[in-house]
Amino acid sequence: MTELLKYTYLLDVKGIRRSIELLWSRYQRILDNKKSSWKDLNEARAILYFIGYLYPEKIALQSLASRIKHIRPRISLDRFFLSVDRNDKAILGKYEKNNNFNKLKEFYLTVKDIKNRVKNNAYLDEERFNGLYSKLKPKDYF
Amino acid sequence: MKNIVAGRVTTIKSKKDYYRIKEETVLVARNTHPDLMIAISKIKAMVVEIDNKLCHAAIIAREFNKPILMGIDEATKKFKTGDRVLIDLNNKTIKKLK
Repeated sequence: MTELLKYTYLLDVKGIRRSIELLWSRYQRILDNKKSSWKDLNEARAILYFIGYLYPEKIALQSLASRIKHIRPRISLDRFFLSVDRNDKAILGKYEKNNNFNKLKEFYLTVKDIKNRVKNNAYLDEERFNGLYSKLKPKDYF
Repeated sequence: MKNIVAGRVTTIKSKKDYYRIKEETVLVARNTHPDLMIAISKIKAMVVEIDNKLCHAAIIAREFNKPILMGIDEATKKFKTGDRVLIDLNNKTIKKLK
């Protein structure tokens, strides 16, 4: 998770993508392993919370909000999201050769990829995680 | 995009509720889930409790050009399936119609 934060500070999109995929693979390995313990499941829970909520909705959003202010010509965060999500050629064309804008666009698409990821018909394989988590939850857990 | 939207509510409590959407509706949820996609063509507007530009509902609303009202506290308790509502996107309000 610190690697992901490091690459986010650096806005190294390849590093960000790689760090997310490493976390996702670790999460999947824990869910796949029949010998995973309660402790392992809580590591999976931490990864799920981090890549499913904390990273995209807090950290990445903050990073995008602070970096978009440096883009010229100026563009609001809402307009940036809309132009990428709707593939608005008129706006995207204006920034076609703007490396910083394109880096932010790639960053956002990477975040969106994990935010929209579905496995086993569930967002971030959450149903499988929930099933295993309840199964291993100690009776005296509080 | 329209700034005023009226319609009948479908409140989402579990992902099965998306599969019950047969007619155009105003979707009310805490947040949305990828299963929303099976009903996306029937969604007139979305009302969600969560308020975040990168939450699932916000992304889908932008991608599919759907009106969205975010940050409506306890929306899933205040609005029940079948309620008729009027949404004002400019003033960020939603009210029940009699």
